[in-house]
Amino acid sequence: MSAVITVKSLAKAYRYAKRRGGFFEAFSPEHVTVEAVAGVDFEIGKGERVAIIGPNGAGKSTTLKMLSGILEPSSGEASVLGLTPWKQRKALAYRIGVVFGQRSQLWGELPARESFALLRHIYDQEAAPFAKRLGELTERFALTDLLDQPVHRMSLGQRMRCEITASLLHGPNLLFLDEPTIGLDVTAKAAIRDFIREHARDHGQTVLLTSHDTRDIELVCDRVIVVNQGRIVVDQPTDQLRRRFLGRKIITFQSAGQGVSLDLPGVTRRASEAHATILEVDTRLTRVERVIAAAMADGGIEDVTIEDPPMEEVIAEIYASTHAA
Amino acid sequence: MIKGARLYAAQSAAAIRTSFADRGNFAIQVGGMIVNDIFFLTLWVLFFAGFRSIGGWQLQDMALLFGLTMSVVGISGVFFGGYRDLAATLLRGELDALLTQPKGLIPRLLARESIATAWGDLAGAVFVLAVFAKLEWTDLPTLLLAIAAGTTVYVSASISFACLAFWAAGARSFARELTDFMLLFSSYPGSIYQGAVKTIAFTLLPAGFVVLAPMGMVRHPSGQTLAVVVFGAVVYAAIAVVLFHLGVARYRRGASPSL
Repeated sequence: MSAVITVKSLAKAYRYAKRRGGFFEAFSPEHVTVEAVAGVDFEIGKGERVAIIGPNGAGKSTTLKMLSGILEPSSGEASVLGLTPWKQRKALAYRIGVVFGQRSQLWGELPARESFALLRHIYDQEAAPFAKRLGELTERFALTDLLDQPVHRMSLGQRMRCEITASLLHGPNLLFLDEPTIGLDVTAKAAIRDFIREHARDHGQTVLLTSHDTRDIELVCDRVIVVNQGRIVVDQPTDQLRRRFLGRKIITFQSAGQGVSLDLPGVTRRASEAHATILEVDTRLTRVERVIAAAMADGGIEDVTIEDPPMEEVIAEIYASTHAA
Repeated sequence: MIKGARLYAAQSAAAIRTSFADRGNFAIQVGGMIVNDIFFLTLWVLFFAGFRSIGGWQLQDMALLFGLTMSVVGISGVFFGGYRDLAATLLRGELDALLTQPKGLIPRLLARESIATAWGDLAGAVFVLAVFAKLEWTDLPTLLLAIAAGTTVYVSASISFACLAFWAAGARSFARELTDFMLLFSSYPGSIYQGAVKTIAFTLLPAGFVVLAPMGMVRHPSGQTLAVVVFGAVVYAAIAVVLFHLGVARYRRGASPSL
């Protein structure tokens, strides 16, 4: 598999002035250097879908910004589609699509159709192939009825579908996604995950995404790079990681009476509160529906919440296990 | 070049359509600006009815100054409206999305917004120049050149002020205040500026090159006045481009406050 991205000893340090107490000290601040990315190495092949995950401040977004040409590294090398991103930014821009979950590349007041038309000029696209691609993407992403609606009047999920469509209109070989499902509801997340996975698979497109949501990783990516404090902790296939760390659910039962008590394989009780029982379920041993059915049979259940374990917890576990090894 | 102009025209047209989108709001803003301009003009008309002249300036000179200022602010606001909140845009980190796209940053930032009130300034400018400035049709070429040069200096100086945002987080309001000061300096007869104030008006806050020098060219067209106006426009445009690129380089090194 030919490498689309090659990264060698890539590092980025930020220097900022740290305020010290006192009036006169304010005029002579102490300068502090923080290593956001501390020399990472990896390769990503054509058609791979790779997630970079890690807690806040781990260096995920900084890595993505260096690889998309926004930021210059402090040291190290990177080649993206044969180009050095920070030196050949404009040439690279024609060949990559970038989506920031918390920043928009669309014109909020304009209908999505007009934003897309402007992107045709920005990427120097011919009208006919552009229209064809736009038609395919809007149909696949169920955006046809939304095209004449101003972007700022759309729901977050609709806006994100437009953002991803916008990033694909010039037919990029590589897609960078920074927290693409942040703030979305379950249905919107599912639609976006399905789209990214299927579009990349059908077009042989390489995807690099960062996320806090373990489901993004499980459902979209076939490889995971875990970073912590700017360093790579784990780099392995999602299947392998799923077997070890991702096959768990947290189920919370609200009940009027006493808490739920279940004796099922892979089900452990977490610290719970009065009228709320929190169970951790290893879904490889017992399926979620079986746990819920057993609890309902017990009686007295008023509400149920099913969640993934927080990313920080998963990372801490991965980190602990790799260090123990 | 042609592709760049086409993109600018498309983006600017989109921004203008956006400013029209809420028609009620658009009408109120434009109407409000026209009322504001009429009030300001009336004060000067009343003033000159009593004093006739101030440092050699008469009503028609004041009207030309006022008309040029409104033209510059109007054209800047309608077609380059992104200049107004540029420092805030930079501090919000909105450069990131633009840096992942292949086109020039300054045109993209300027064309992203069109200010509704600027149409009021443009309408007021046409009225004032046509009725009070005592211009002939033969003055039209120099008038258009004066407006183009003044707009270049005004937008360039605003970009330069906004570039402070690459160095300091507090630049958001400061950059806007500097732009407003420049406008304020452009709204009074040039004869009142002497010594250090005149130096500031032709350097740090280039009000002199926004309106006063272009106005001199309209009243007394010559090779010398033309050279001064063109020189001012080129120099301030070059300063803006250099400062912006130094700022972007700093931003991409990760040293800017918005990162």
